[in-house]
Amino acid sequence: MNKDSRRMKAGLVAFVLALPVNVYAESAYDTLRNQVDSLKKQLEEVQESLKNYQSENVSKKDIAELKKEVREAGEWKNPNTLIHMSGYADVGYTDSKDGDGSFNVGTFSPIFHFQYRDLVMLESELEFGVEPDGETEVALEYLTVDLFLNDYMALVAGKFLSPVGQFRQNLHPSWINKLPSAPPGFGHNGAAPVSDVGLQLRGGFPVGGMRSNYALYVSNGPELNAVTEDGAEFELEGIEAEGFGEDSDGRKVFGGRFGLLPMPGLEIGISGATGKAAVTSLENELTETTSSLSNESRRDYDVYGLDFAWQYKAINIRGEFVKTTIGSASSGTTPSPKADWSTWYTQASYRFLPGKFESVLRYTDFDSPHDIEDQEQWTLGANYLFANNFIGKLAYEFNDGIEDTPADNDRWLLQLAYGF
Amino acid sequence: MKNSIYRQTVYILAPLVLMSVFPNRILAADYPAPGDFQQGAKVWAENCGRCHNIRGPRELRDDQWITTVFHMRLRAGLTGQESRDVLTFLQGSNTPATGAATPVKLSKTATAAVSGKTIYTQTCIACHGADGKGSLPGVPDFTGSKSPLSKDDATLTKNVLEGFQSPGSPMAMPPKGGNPDLNTDDIQAVMNYLREIEL
Repeated sequence: MNKDSRRMKAGLVAFVLALPVNVYAESAYDTLRNQVDSLKKQLEEVQESLKNYQSENVSKKDIAELKKEVREAGEWKNPNTLIHMSGYADVGYTDSKDGDGSFNVGTFSPIFHFQYRDLVMLESELEFGVEPDGETEVALEYLTVDLFLNDYMALVAGKFLSPVGQFRQNLHPSWINKLPSAPPGFGHNGAAPVSDVGLQLRGGFPVGGMRSNYALYVSNGPELNAVTEDGAEFELEGIEAEGFGEDSDGRKVFGGRFGLLPMPGLEIGISGATGKAAVTSLENELTETTSSLSNESRRDYDVYGLDFAWQYKAINIRGEFVKTTIGSASSGTTPSPKADWSTWYTQASYRFLPGKFESVLRYTDFDSPHDIEDQEQWTLGANYLFANNFIGKLAYEFNDGIEDTPADNDRWLLQLAYGF
Repeated sequence: MKNSIYRQTVYILAPLVLMSVFPNRILAADYPAPGDFQQGAKVWAENCGRCHNIRGPRELRDDQWITTVFHMRLRAGLTGQESRDVLTFLQGSNTPATGAATPVKLSKTATAAVSGKTIYTQTCIACHGADGKGSLPGVPDFTGSKSPLSKDDATLTKNVLEGFQSPGSPMAMPPKGGNPDLNTDDIQAVMNYLREIEL
């Protein structure tokens, strides 16, 4: 009994002693469990954050790909060699007082630029036109290699637009010319040279507080046409100054232009050229034949011009004068006295801002050795600028020449011109 | 024959002799070399419109402007530096505005680092003119009854920050007038200056 009693006491004591230990163990277990749960939760949050971070941010691979794209964009944006096409085109409708109205395609003139860094540029303008008989005419308006020598000078070699005056080298593109037609005397076979083949130095430099620009050139020069009615007496028909690929008279023409800008918006220019020219074709009105000539005597060729342009806010006023003189010849196949061609125009335009309408008024007086070509012209125009490089033009020419000649025929002109 | 050879020699050598007058050709090592933005805006504003309608910067991409400006350097008789300045201006102005309709928070006390007059002279004057009437056809007149200054400050600041196309203007004003360093305080200072002098 005692033995059992002692065992029971011992068991009771052991139970009592073990009881707090079990309670403590359960408490520690719960604590640990809570900590594990908490850590698991934190881990899940970290994993979620990491997942979000990875989805919101780029990896190194992404950055590498992006850098590659940027490099490739740089290649496109800024290579050493650049190729670019610009130009202009126009279509229109002409209705003259003594004729029927006709739709016409003026010109399509793409201009190509090929440039190597800031060292050299090749420029070329083609001119496509549709003749009245439907034939397509193609011409090389100019083709030059421009070598940029320094900040103030470039060497221009090839066929270039004549630097004499302003109209031909700067204003003839249809999206720039504010009227649908060129001033009489500034077109082909007029008083002002169109283009030439040779070498040219041009650029600009400051003069005190003013700016200036210049062009100096040596070229093959023009050729002359002569006409005869009876094969005995001859007269000069016209000057072809459109850039010939050979120097038929063996004497070069020297010329140039100097422009001064005494204040912003105002430019005053003086230009000229001198050299020799010879008759290369003869038109016989009696036999209605044209023949080429050789060994004609050289004649003096002199041309000079004055021009100005002034831009003040919405007002633009400009004008120029050009005179060409061909000396006499007493020997050769077509002896004839000297002859003068001269023309001048002044033009004013005003844009009604902030609208898109523009008004233009131009006066031109062209004098030729042939009275039938003399022309005095007033042109009144109204333009609508769909954009600064896309212009609708409506103009009326009041032409005054010898009666019943084209020079006396008033006409309406409508034109859509686009510069690209 | 002898004279002919002599003439031909002169024709070829004469340009080379003239070229030697300017022997120090500047080849831009970091072509296209950067120019001065504000000076470019001035040259662009003073020269392009004399012959043709102004072509806005956004009409062409950066690479297209390079060939176009070099072409015009020859046509207009610009110097190399002038053409680099114009190119910098055009390339810096042809990026489209963001167009984000973000309301602009203006500080009540503008604390621009430099005066409004200085900022206007450096950043705005090329297009807006010294008299505020606009140096280009179509640029808004600050002195007229329809002056943009009649708009509230928040609208004006937003227009300057993001760029703005005024009706009839040949180009949109580039964001921050083309000066990336401008902040809202600077813009506020310019507006205060323009209103104070009552153009």
